Amino acid sequence: MNEPLPETWEDVARKHGRKIYNFAYRLCGNPDDAADLVQEVLLRVRRGLADYTPGSFDGWLWRITRNAFLDDVRRRKRRPTSPLPDHTDRMSEWSSPGPDEVLAGLRLGEDIQKALLDIPIEFREAVVMCDVVGMSYEEIAAAVAAPIGTVRSRIHRGRKLLRERLT
Amino acid sequence: MNHLGDLLSAHLDGELASHERSRVAEHLQTCDRCRRELEELASARAAVRSLPLLELPVALSTAIGARPDPIPLRRRPVAWVGAAAAAAFAVFVSAAALTAPEPREISPPQLNAVYGAVSSNEGAFTVVKVAGATAAAGGAR
Repeated sequence: MNEPLPETWEDVARKHGRKIYNFAYRLCGNPDDAADLVQEVLLRVRRGLADYTPGSFDGWLWRITRNAFLDDVRRRKRRPTSPLPDHTDRMSEWSSPGPDEVLAGLRLGEDIQKALLDIPIEFREAVVMCDVVGMSYEEIAAAVAAPIGTVRSRIHRGRKLLRERLT
Repeated sequence: MNHLGDLLSAHLDGELASHERSRVAEHLQTCDRCRRELEELASARAAVRSLPLLELPVALSTAIGARPDPIPLRRRPVAWVGAAAAAAFAVFVSAAALTAPEPREISPPQLNAVYGAVSSNEGAFTVVKVAGATAAAGGAR
């Protein structure tokens, strides 16, 4: 699957920044770390673009993203994660739900985020790639350099663990 | 009887191979245990999918020279509907949803000391070699 190479680094940022941010936020659970990761990924992309060989640009980008996240995890000292309420920008576009519903949704979102942070990282990563980013099993397998069967197993086990934590 | 295990998640995601689909469908017709597990998996999947998509923080968007991406990451009609769906988390999805995998609409190619639980299987987390991104492993920030 050859994809056209984005012309500029800014194109990559514009097209993929939000995807990377959502992936990072759901993995790390806080906006500051997620923002740091986005910048790190884009820095690596900028360094790597010159040597990029045509192929799956998205696959290349997600491998960089994942590697940056894992490098970051290894580098950091333990520090508490404190997920903030999810941004309400999108919700404000829709006036139907009342304040109570919005608050209930935010609380549920926090519960789900906490449950995500509580499961082993390889399962969390697979679930987030599948259910937040919307990647196929094949795309996830390419990004994490694992067989599709492994991806399937990680998603399955991740969901089972999430289910246990959410009930 | 061999139960379905991770075939159930693949079933939910529409990721079964053709030869697996009929086996899964047939098994689900007769196995209460797998049907129950499918319901539980579906509820967990729905919960994660109900999380709202976040906009790039303005400061970050400015720093990286990117405007907020106008294209939704994934097919979600309305964020608050997703939240409402999550509110009904305890209510399991319908039998129809369980037996008919949701087709992927748009699929844009799209440790725990620090962030959560650390897997015992650390070997699974070797950094992937990325052609053209030699700086990746260096991690200079």
